[in-house]
Amino acid sequence: MKTKILLDEDQMPRQWYNIQPDLPSPLDPPRHPGTGKPLVPDDLRHIFPMELIRQEMDDRRFIDIPQEVQDILLLWRPTPLIRAHRLEKHLGTPAHIYYKYEGVSPPGSHKPNTAVPQAYYNMKEGIERISTETGAGQWGSALAFATQLFGLACTIYMVRSSYAQKPYRKSMMHVWGAECIPSPSTKTKAGQSVLEKDPETTGSLGIAISEAVEDAATHSDTNYSLGSVLNHVCLHQTVVGQECKEQLASLDEYPDVVIGCVGGGSNFAGFSFPFARDKLKGTRKDLDFIAVEPAACPTLTKGLYTYDYGDVAGLTPLLKMFTLGHDFVPPAIHAGGLRYHGASPIVSRLVHDGVMRAISYHQSEVFDAAQTFARTEGFIVAPETSHAVKAAIDVALECKRKGEKKTIVFNCSGHGDFDMSAYDAYYTRQLADYEYPDQLIREALSQIPRVPGA
Amino acid sequence: MFRIGFIVNPVAGMGGAVGLKGTDGLFDEAVSRGAVPRAPSRAEEAARLLAGLPIHFLACSGPMGEESLARAGIDDYEVVYNVHKERTGATDTIAACRIFAESGVDLVLFCGGDGTARDIYSVLGDSIPILGIPAGVKMYSSVFAITPEAAATILEEGLETGREMHIRDAEVVDVDEESYRRGELATRLFGIARSPYRPGLVQMTKEVYEDPDEERAKRNIALFLREVIEGTPDILYILGPGMTTAAIARELGIPKTILGFDAVKAGELVASDLEERGICTLLADNPRARLVVSIIGAQGAILGRGTQQVTPRVVRALGKENIIVVATPHKISQTPHLFIDTGDAELDREFGDSIQVVTGYMIARRVRMERSLPG
Ligand SMILES: Cc1ncc(COP(=O)(O)O)c(C=O)c1O
Repeated sequence: MKTKILLDEDQMPRQWYNIQPDLPSPLDPPRHPGTGKPLVPDDLRHIFPMELIRQEMDDRRFIDIPQEVQDILLLWRPTPLIRAHRLEKHLGTPAHIYYKYEGVSPPGSHKPNTAVPQAYYNMKEGIERISTETGAGQWGSALAFATQLFGLACTIYMVRSSYAQKPYRKSMMHVWGAECIPSPSTKTKAGQSVLEKDPETTGSLGIAISEAVEDAATHSDTNYSLGSVLNHVCLHQTVVGQECKEQLASLDEYPDVVIGCVGGGSNFAGFSFPFARDKLKGTRKDLDFIAVEPAACPTLTKGLYTYDYGDVAGLTPLLKMFTLGHDFVPPAIHAGGLRYHGASPIVSRLVHDGVMRAISYHQSEVFDAAQTFARTEGFIVAPETSHAVKAAIDVALECKRKGEKKTIVFNCSGHGDFDMSAYDAYYTRQLADYEYPDQLIREALSQIPRVPGA
Repeated sequence: MFRIGFIVNPVAGMGGAVGLKGTDGLFDEAVSRGAVPRAPSRAEEAARLLAGLPIHFLACSGPMGEESLARAGIDDYEVVYNVHKERTGATDTIAACRIFAESGVDLVLFCGGDGTARDIYSVLGDSIPILGIPAGVKMYSSVFAITPEAAATILEEGLETGREMHIRDAEVVDVDEESYRRGELATRLFGIARSPYRPGLVQMTKEVYEDPDEERAKRNIALFLREVIEGTPDILYILGPGMTTAAIARELGIPKTILGFDAVKAGELVASDLEERGICTLLADNPRARLVVSIIGAQGAILGRGTQQVTPRVVRALGKENIIVVATPHKISQTPHLFIDTGDAELDREFGDSIQVVTGYMIARRVRMERSLPG
């Protein structure tokens, strides 16, 4: 019985899988933030390179990965798929548990899978600097890594609560030559207006996105880059799921349950879409997809499926997605990368249509799971990832109760080496079990129209 | 120089050691059962840690403070109140506090129990911060530090140069000792004092960015609840006692009785300082009603202590899903285990083992509840 299932370098996918043509009906188009009209490519030119705009609304099922991008991905790809023998034994479950370990990349997560192509396309179109936001710092460090390889400058607005919780993420971004600014900052109008209202704010991804978009929109040599949510980001992550499928096939396995954590949805999308293709085609009707999110920010489980902005200031296009409201500032949980009010429009659609399902967990129970995982499999995972771990353990325990021998795979999206303060907080019982008072919030919002034309 | 009024209730806690659940009116009984004073030595423990700090003490003579200070090696004190009788009592505490108030002390540090806190509060109200060194039998009030050392640490850190002392609202709870001895806990919110505390330190191991500022946290809760209340004009809201619910009333622009239950609907005040009967009448007239309550006292009570107006009958009429609990993050960190004690154990059980508490603007937490009553 194998533990690590490895692919050769020449088995790394040469193409990304685009799920859009396989959806039963086309996605609702993104809309212009000012007019509410469906977006045309030109609307995005001032912040994105053309090739990424094209990929955002692409009907090609497979899209070639540029050779220069492949060369860099090969630094850590293909990533291992690992059979969780010790965890299975510890749980006493008949289920098979596998995890795809994305923590082996230089920045330590799945994020460089898209950071590298994004930096590449920007470089190709003559852009000199990229601005972005980061929550936990995983995305910021991934983009710092990628831009530096292509000789671009990089400015990162890091959510203030994470900036304090994860000082070494900031140091990493420095090593890769990027500038890291705590958000909200006084450098942008969006940041200033938030600080005016609430000088003590914890910040949020929604605020940091506003700052980064404003920075890009007001500098002609600068483009913006988003680490999740958008279709092209999910597209770039599909190398993960494609590899996983091949690795399982080499063992004659096919999953019954596919699990990933969801912040903006990119790691879950990239992991699950190649499998979702089979379900959409009808060959794997019973395949169960579980998107896992924090109870503190339960976008897919408690949000509304509607058009909303991707950021606080309303600078991004309106996207049809599950949302908790673009001005919702989620509590400062340690899984900073999951503190996002919205979610990928494609993942949202699939959850809305019942192809996939979503569940949520409180903070302390996911750390219980992460501890179990660390003490059986050894890897200390990121707080974001621990949500997926928790779900995998719960499904495995359910298999034990029912005597079912299911195959469970989850995306182990990143390591937690820079998140030890979160683990310390767990061990000193400082973790608050935040949750979203959905009923009360609906009532509070009942009088206020939030989004024009939505 | 920081001026502290220092007072020890020498008889506090004597009854507890000999199974009397309180010493009020039972001093002779306690002594005959072999009780010895413990408050002076508890006070001395705290004072020892304060020696050397820039504090000038105004003290009471003999066992009411002077002795503890002297034994702790503190010499910067003056005796401002002399005990004349052999046996001290509430009248001494009250008289000494009047002198403290007139002399303009910065804080009153006392050693005793809930009864002592109540006597001090009756003179000082919220005009001067008070801090308790625990020595009593019952300490349901939130003005007490957990231990004598903790009391000293709070002051020591508060006096560090360049730091401002953090002050919070702290309930003074009145326990009826007669019924307490019969095994019933009949408490009443007596008042809300001001008390120094250690703010949530911004250490790496802590929940960073939990709002260390209680006032701000209360405002954020109030802002959220105002939006909820205004968003549901057909629902009657009954606001319970305490400073967090008072902040909601302030946000709504309506008056609030700090210790009572007041009703509001569509942003308008409907009734003030309701008793059980008044609440029941309102519930009968309003098919949709909710109760907004906070955590009362140092023990984490949501219903049942300081909230006698909310009887099991009221809770049943309301329905547990219509009870909204609000509390600042600081309050929760002080009282990590909440409990509900309506006086009807079966009803209490229906609340389950955790409850949602609104802690900020659109933010809530799930907090564990204890089954049995602490203390
Ligand atoms: C390790 C890790 N996992 C998951 C996420 C969540 O993002 P997404 O939903 O886009 O995968 C993040 C985001 O920062 C992350 O760092």
